[in-house]
Parts: sequence; structure tokens; C-alpha cells
Amino acid sequence: MSLIMMLAISLVVSAGVMLALSRDLFRLIVGLAVLGSAANLIVFMAGRPGSLVPPLIEAGAGELAAAAADPLPQALVLTAIVIGFALLCFALVLGAWLVRHNGHDDSDRLQASEPLASDPLKPPLMDE
Amino acid sequence: MSHATHPAAGGPTCLWLAAAPLSLFLLLAWGLTHHALPWHVDASWVPSLGLSLGFRVDGLSAQMLALITGIGTWIFVYASGYLAHEPRRGRLLGVLLLFMLAMVGAVTADNLILLFLFWELTSITSFLLVGFNHEQAAARAAARQALLVTMGGGLALLGGLVLLGQMAGTWTLSGIIAAGPDLAADPRLPYALMLVLLGAFTKSAQFPFHFWLPNAMSAPTPVSAYLHSATMVKLGIYLMARLDPAFNDLLFWEAILIGTGTLTAVWAAVLALRERDLKRILAHSTVSALGTLTLLIGLPSPGAALAVVAFLFAHALYKAPLFMVAGNIDHATGTRSIDHLMGLRRAMPLTATAAVLAGLSMAGLPLSFGFVAKDVIAVAKAEAEVLTLVSYATVFVNAIAVAVAGVAAVRVFWGPPEAPRGQVHEVSWRMFVPPLAIVLLGIEFEFFPALADPLLLAAARSISPQLGVVELSAALDLDVLLSATGITAVVGLLFFLAWDRLHQALHRLYRLDERFGPAAWYEHLLHGLSRVAAWHTRRLQDGRLSSYLRQTLAALLLLGAFAWWAGDSRPLIGWDWPDQGWAWAVAALLIVAGAAAALLLRGRLAVLMASGLVGYGSAVWFLFAGAPDLAFTQFMVETALVVVAASVLPRYGPSSSRREPWRWANAALAAAAGIGTFLLLAHLQGLPPNAELAEWFGRTSLPEAHGRNVVNVIIVDFRALDTLGEIAVVAFSLLAVLPLLAGLKKRRAA
Repeated sequence: MSLIMMLAISLVVSAGVMLALSRDLFRLIVGLAVLGSAANLIVFMAGRPGSLVPPLIEAGAGELAAAAADPLPQALVLTAIVIGFALLCFALVLGAWLVRHNGHDDSDRLQASEPLASDPLKPPLMDE
Repeated sequence: MSHATHPAAGGPTCLWLAAAPLSLFLLLAWGLTHHALPWHVDASWVPSLGLSLGFRVDGLSAQMLALITGIGTWIFVYASGYLAHEPRRGRLLGVLLLFMLAMVGAVTADNLILLFLFWELTSITSFLLVGFNHEQAAARAAARQALLVTMGGGLALLGGLVLLGQMAGTWTLSGIIAAGPDLAADPRLPYALMLVLLGAFTKSAQFPFHFWLPNAMSAPTPVSAYLHSATMVKLGIYLMARLDPAFNDLLFWEAILIGTGTLTAVWAAVLALRERDLKRILAHSTVSALGTLTLLIGLPSPGAALAVVAFLFAHALYKAPLFMVAGNIDHATGTRSIDHLMGLRRAMPLTATAAVLAGLSMAGLPLSFGFVAKDVIAVAKAEAEVLTLVSYATVFVNAIAVAVAGVAAVRVFWGPPEAPRGQVHEVSWRMFVPPLAIVLLGIEFEFFPALADPLLLAAARSISPQLGVVELSAALDLDVLLSATGITAVVGLLFFLAWDRLHQALHRLYRLDERFGPAAWYEHLLHGLSRVAAWHTRRLQDGRLSSYLRQTLAALLLLGAFAWWAGDSRPLIGWDWPDQGWAWAVAALLIVAGAAAALLLRGRLAVLMASGLVGYGSAVWFLFAGAPDLAFTQFMVETALVVVAASVLPRYGPSSSRREPWRWANAALAAAAGIGTFLLLAHLQGLPPNAELAEWFGRTSLPEAHGRNVVNVIIVDFRALDTLGEIAVVAFSLLAVLPLLAGLKKRRAA
């Protein structure tokens, strides 16, 4: 059964990479979001999901039932989901700001922090 | 360094700084007369790293210390005169003092890491001193060359020392020497020794690393006299001599030392003929002497140990004064070219006296300590039955030394005076007393060897413990000596007379060396380095975000592939169909559909919605895998995200239908990433499950944290600090968004 999920996650990673490599700033950000989701799925998958029983201690019981799902990957993924959300909101607004201030949405033409290869500021290739 | 340029530069002469080496020298003399060697100090520093402030002074160290502090005293006197008109002399003398302390540390350190630290400190101070006249491009290049060559060797040395330390199980030099014979069986020993020798060879300017030393002559003369003749370049010799008792039985050690030493001695002697600059001639002859020392260390006989220490001593006592003489000539005439220097005897009688006496010693003629040293060397070679080729080589090298002595001591002072080049006059007393004092000391040792005997014998015994009781004077073997001295003196005289003609004749050879010699390799290497850097900056750091992502991904995939290739875990794919299988299938379908749609659709809102589908699909899966909390959070986040995104979406403008230039490379990378993920997941499933943590959380959740929802307990209790950090991240991203939003509004208003 895990095969289906493994295939699905792999496809999500592929799609996320393809989106993130796009020159379109918006697609790049969406790609990062998709890759984030994929990372969450991978962590969850590593916890060997299979049990339907949530990790809740039954009333009267002193400890978690053996049949319950593993709580640790859930806690990790929960944290990751929230952080990913915050990051994505920031990235979306930042992207919008960049489009506004640069007048284009081409990620390869963002040069505020570093000039392009053709820039004379970069050391020349010493071809003899 | 013309004396006329800074007539106004006054200030303190810094002569008092000579008190520092002098007091150390007196302390050493007091210690030698009152306490038996070896002295040993050990203070704990970083015991967990095997690092301690361990110092040990035996005969060899004491001899080096005597040279460093004794010659150092006169160097500081000389420098105060030489730099009298140099406004930045404070800086130079400060670094020189630091260098002296580093040398003192290097020759007394017993801890390997400590030795390395001091060793590198001498390289760094040497760099600062060679590049002192940093306005000149040549001085900067020479300083960089000295630094790169000696520091590169220093790194090799560190590797070698660490290897030796691991093999011997001790971090003290004395421990390694004691364990030396036992290490011979270790297969790592040749590598360790090669690395150590690389360090020693670069430091002591052995072939093919000899080229940095003559170039380092761009340093002010007190520096050349101190670092590049008497002390620092002897550090490599010191280390080899120090390790010699442990490894001189190895054929490998002997062959490399004798081979490299002979080659260096001969080649540097040939190169000396090339130069017209007095200082560079002396520098080449220093390299030649260093080669001779390496060769002598390689000789297996006990007598060779005596030869090493005697020659080390003699060389320092004549070479430092000769450098000072060259500096005086430069100071008085403004040139160091032997083509323009003649008949200085009348103008500079005291400097000339010092030069002649030092020259005698260098030529190994009577009336000098060099005579004694030469005798000991001759005896050692006779004892060791060296190869005939090596004997011929040493005759040649000694003859060139005689010729160099002739050039430095006779040629420039005798003959008709050059046409008056301004007012040539004797230099100040602070500049002619030091060379005179040092050479007179050497002469004193020749007539009263008993004065230097105990120190030299103690030094020789630290190299070769089985050396019997010998008196330096009694070692005189007239037959050997007369033949050796006689031959070299005659051949040397011929070389001296033919100096200019030889220079012409060997012109072609020098052109060949310039084009293909080690110095040319160094230039190629340096040039190649900047070419690689330029290529790297142009091609890899091309300023495009997508390039960087591609490179990062490719590197990550390569690393993963390596781990897959090198690892031995087994992949596992689960085929079972659990009760909730249909729900998982639906979830997978949603996820795949969302991912595919996000990739294929062009409209921005559509892409956003499709990516949301991936999230919703995940939530469904979480719901049917015992994780309702996750499912709830994911549903909420996806919904909130759509709201946020929809509010900024119009700002992105219409979606462009731009052609992606790297389409196929991107697709290949994406496919590789997908396959890599699948393999990763399969191998993850193949690992044996470890429920230890899950059980621990399940057991302690209720009694310790009073919570029944174990996931929540982990987040707010067991990992509360992490959660605090997470909250901070969310808050910061919100804070960061605020000014951006304000910027968006402003633009619209404008």
C-alpha cells in the first residue's frame, strides 16, 4: 500500500522542482510551497503510517495504546506545516513587492544583490 | 631604503629593543652553566585535544636558542642603525620581535601542535617582514610567494605531525622520537614522513621550493640577515635534525635527504652565478648551504651530526655578517649590483674588514670557525663513505662558496674605486659593529674551540646519541682537511676569476630555468587559480536565481547518489492494502492531480488552487492515518493560504508566457529528483522501525505532562522551546510582511 503514497510523493517532488526552477516568480514561490508539502509527506511517511488510531490516551488508561499511530512524526509535521505557512505568506508578499518595484516577474533578472555574469564588475575570463 | 630620503625622520632609535634578545641570551647562558640539559616544562592547556604547553630544551634546542638570541641581539643593534631614517621602523621592529619569540617557541616546543603553531607564526611574521615595503609590487609578490610556499608546506607538516602523533599514540616530539624505531613497521610512516619533509623542505628552501628565498630578499636587510640566513630558514633543518635519531635507519629517509640536499646545494650554487645583486647572490649561497645541511643530516654516521651542528653554527656566524655588509654597501652607495661596486675598501674600511673575515669563514679558510666546520664535514663524509657523485658535488658547491665569498668580500672592496657616486662614506657604528662582532666571535671559537665545544657536542648528541666524546679541535684531520680545502680553494679561485664569463656562458640555462623551472610552475599555479576563480564567478555565480537552484539541486542529487552507492541498506516496498486503503488511494489521487495541474496550468489563480489541492490531499491522508490534528491544521492552513494569496495575486500582473530557456535540463533535474525521492522513501521503509521514542512519549505523556493528546503534549511540553522558536518565526515573518505591504500600498497611491 505504501507504494501508492511513495509514487504520489515522488511525483509531487518532481512537480515542485519543475515549478521552483521556473523563471516566473509566482511559479517559483508555488514550487517552494509544493516542495514544502512534499517534505512534510516524506517525514510523515518515515513514521510508517498505517494505524487509524490517533495517538490519544484513552480515558482511564495510563499510557498510549500500542495500536495507536506514532505521535512523533505528527508533532514534527505539525510544526513544519505552520512554519511553512508563515514562510509562504512572506514569500508571496515579497514576490508581489518585487514585481511592483522591478516592473517584471522574471526571477533571473533580479539583480539587487548580485550582478549578472555579463556584468563588468565580475572578474574577466582570462582566455589566451 | 636610501638614507637621504627621510632626513627629517627622527624619533627614538629603538636601540633599547636589543635588550630583549640580549636578556634571553644571558638567561640561556646562565641556565646552561647552572642546570643540566634537557630542561623540561609542561603545563596543561587543552588536555582533551592532547594540546599542552610542553617545552623541552636539549642540546640542539639550546644551540638554536643561542643563535636566535645571540645573533638577534646584534640584528636589533644593526636594525636600529639601518632603519634610522625609516619612519615606520617601530612596526618592523615589533614584528621582528614577535618573530624572535615565535622562533624561540618553535625550537623549544615539545608538543606537536604547539610546534606547528609557532612554525606558522614564523611564516606569518616572515610574510609581514618581506612585504614591509608594501608600496613596491615586487615586495608584495615576494611576500605572497614566501607565504604561500611556506604555509602550503606548513599544512603538509600539520598533516604529517598528526599522522605521526596518531601512529605513536603521543603528542610530544620526544615521545615520537623515542617511539621512532617501532614505527618503522607502520605502513603509514612513509606518508607521514613525506608530509613532514614537505614542511621542512619548503621552510628551508630545498629544491624545488628554493625559489622563494632569493625573492624574499626584497625585505629590509636586517630581516634578510636574521630570518633568511641565520634563523627561520634553519627551522626546517632543525626539524629534520630533531627527527633524525628516530628515522635515520630508514633507507627512504636517507635517500630523500641526501638526494634533495645534494640537488639543492648544486642547483643553488649554479643559480648564484646568475645574479648580479649582492643580496641575491648571498641568498642563493644560503640555499646552497641549506642543501648541504640537509645532505649532512641524511648521512648515517655519528660524525655527521657533529658536522651538522658545526656547519649550522659556522654558517650563521658568517652569513649574517655578510648580509649586514651587503646592507651597508646598499646604504652607502644606493646599489647592490656587483657591476657598479668596486674599490669600496677605502671608503668603508671597517665594513670591508668584517666582509673579509666573514668571507674567510665562508670559504672555509684558516682563521675562521668555518675552517673548523669544514674539517668536521670532511671527516664526516670520509666516515660515511658517500657516493662519489655526492663528493664531487660537494667539491663544486664548496668551490662556489669560495667564489661567492670572493665576490662579497673581495671584488666589491678591492680594485679601482668606481667613479664617485655621491659621497660614499662609512656607515654608522650601529651598522659596522654588529657584523664585526659576530665574525670576531667566530674567530674566537676557532682559536678557543673549547668555548663552543660543550654546546655543539650537546647539540650533536641530541641528533646522534651514540656520538662518543670528541673534541672539536682534536677532530682536525690534516690529510683530509688539506686535500679538501686545497682543492676547493683552487677551484673556487677559478670560479671567482671566471665569474662574469660563467655568467654569460650559463645564460641559456637560466633562460630555461625561467621558463620551465619551479618558479614558473608556481606562477602557472597562481595564474590557474585566478582563472578557475574567474570561471567560477562568471559561469557558476551567474547571478540568476534559477541557476543557483539548479546547481544546489544537482549537488544534492549527486550527494544522494553517492550515499545510495556507498550505503548498504535494502529498499522495501509495501504491497499490503490496509482497511482504509480506499481513502489513501483517494488522497494520493488528489495529491497527484494537484501537482500535475499546478505544473500544467498557466493561469496564476489556477496554479494556486492546484497547489492547494496537494495540501488538501495530504490532509485527507493524515485523516486516514491516525493524525486528525495534522489534517485539521493542514485544512486550515490551505484555506488561509488561498485567502492570503488571492489578496496579493493581482499585484503579480498577468501571467507571462515566457519561454523557459533551460526547459529540458529542468525536466531532467525534476525527474531525477522524483526518482531520488522514491529511492529515498523505499530505503527509509527498509530500515528497521524504531518505536523507542513513540513508546517513551506514550508512557510519560500522562504522568509527567498531564496530557492525553500525545502530539499536543510533545509540541507544548516536551519540545516547548522549539515551539517557542516556531512562534517567533511566525511572528517575525508577519513583522517582515508589514513593511512590504506598506510599500505595495505606497506604490499604488503614487
